[in-house]
Amino acid sequence: MKPDEFEQRLSRQPLRQLPPDWRGEILAAAREAQSSGHSSPVTRHGWLATFNQQLSTIFWPHPKAWAGLAAVWILILAMNLSERDASPRLVVKSASPSPEAMVELKKQQRLLAELVGTYEAPDVDRRKIFSPRPRSERAEILMT
Amino acid sequence: MKMLGRKEIERLYDAHAPALFAFLLNLTRDEADTRDLLQEIFIKLTRDATLLAGVREERAFLIRLAHNAAIDLMRRRGTRERTKENFAAEIISPFAPTSDPDKKVFREELAAALGELPADQRAVVHLKLWGELTFEEIAAALEIPPNTAASRYRYGLDKLRDTLRPLYEEIK
Repeated sequence: MKPDEFEQRLSRQPLRQLPPDWRGEILAAAREAQSSGHSSPVTRHGWLATFNQQLSTIFWPHPKAWAGLAAVWILILAMNLSERDASPRLVVKSASPSPEAMVELKKQQRLLAELVGTYEAPDVDRRKIFSPRPRSERAEILMT
Repeated sequence: MKMLGRKEIERLYDAHAPALFAFLLNLTRDEADTRDLLQEIFIKLTRDATLLAGVREERAFLIRLAHNAAIDLMRRRGTRERTKENFAAEIISPFAPTSDPDKKVFREELAAALGELPADQRAVVHLKLWGELTFEEIAAALEIPPNTAASRYRYGLDKLRDTLRPLYEEIK
């Protein structure tokens, strides 16, 4: 098949005709735009339309995926904010314990001190024993 | 903003609307979209007379407006509509209906094969075969280099030839 023949055959195929009734409708719409005298929405909201167009250009391939991602981020942000709100409350509560709780706490501290206190003295001694002094000086300590 | 006169807009419509209609219909494959885009173009021209100021080739300029409007529409539509576009040849044909069975089959197959071309190749093939524009004019209209216009035409035509070869040989 010769390319010229093929091209000629294609170019001979007649195209659909413009519907005649469109002329009146489209020209009427144009006249209406003319008589209203308003600038086009694109001109009036130029920056908004441009911004919108840019956004749609970025997001049009997978709008649902982007919406899902946005929802996940909003959820994470909400959880983060709720946790941040809760933590100061805990601090405030712990900062002002009741007198009963203080008494109980002191009791427990005393009990703990009694229990732990038995181990304090040997610790001190052990520190003395293993202090890095000459052996002669260590003997003096033991004698005293 | 200076507006275009009524007589002038009518002249533009009568001179260019049929060609713009065919071009837009081949790109969108949707009559309602084609009508909306055509109306959008003529409203734009009416509202701003300066658009045509200093334009030497009205047809090329209007084709550029039409092409940009069609591309914007296709982008706005998204994946679902682009899928529809791929099968759009089944929905509407840019060719005139005929009662001759051979011609009918050929036009249907040609419409389907055109529908499978990427939009940029389809635009160039349309403007070259049915718009009767030169590659320089197509390049000016679509704001691409003439070599790009020529290569898109070649690729597009080769695909059409491959697709239509059996049918073409049969009914030649």
